[in-house]
Amino acid sequence: MLVLTRKTDEEIIINGNIRVKIVAVSEGKVKIGISAPSSVEILRGEIYETVKNSALEASQQSTQTVKDISKLKIHKLEK
Amino acid sequence: MRIVTKQFGEIEFQEENTVKFSSGLFGFEQLKKFLLIKTDEELFYWLNSIDEPEIVFPLIGLRVIEEDYPATENFETFGIVTLNSDPLKISVNMKAPVYINQNEKTGFQKIIDSEKYNVHYNLFVE
Repeated sequence: MLVLTRKTDEEIIINGNIRVKIVAVSEGKVKIGISAPSSVEILRGEIYETVKNSALEASQQSTQTVKDISKLKIHKLEK
Repeated sequence: MRIVTKQFGEIEFQEENTVKFSSGLFGFEQLKKFLLIKTDEELFYWLNSIDEPEIVFPLIGLRVIEEDYPATENFETFGIVTLNSDPLKISVNMKAPVYINQNEKTGFQKIIDSEKYNVHYNLFVE
């Protein structure tokens, strides 16, 4: 992994079209600004991991037999 | 063309019926081509990988759960379902919807960065 040291307001440019800027640093937190083409997906790492694990689980559970759902109601998401 | 699936055994299909996901699905980025299968009586759809036919994702239309779930024009919105032998534990991923355009035969997945939507949303209530 490439590790770089940056100060507040300094940037990193990736691939010529992605700019990562250190906006603010305070007490163990770093605020980062990212400019990138809309085709570039930007995600918090932990959200990606959660979604990935859930997809893995869904594919592993896909052979489960679904039974007795006729009496159940769909759980609607209310506003 | 034909593939052998876990759910439906051997399936024969035409290339033009495959749904293309140019970025794959989160965690399964290598899978680019799928068949969307719907049986008559079931609530679920099945998104079966063509690249790796043993991989299949049950899907459900998210409008069944929330009428104004975020939509994309010309695309139908689905959630990946995690099945369970106890139906009350069957869950839907509301946070990372799968969008499919059945005319263009293209699809993509997106993550909705909102506290409102969960990765494991219980599908049924008694």
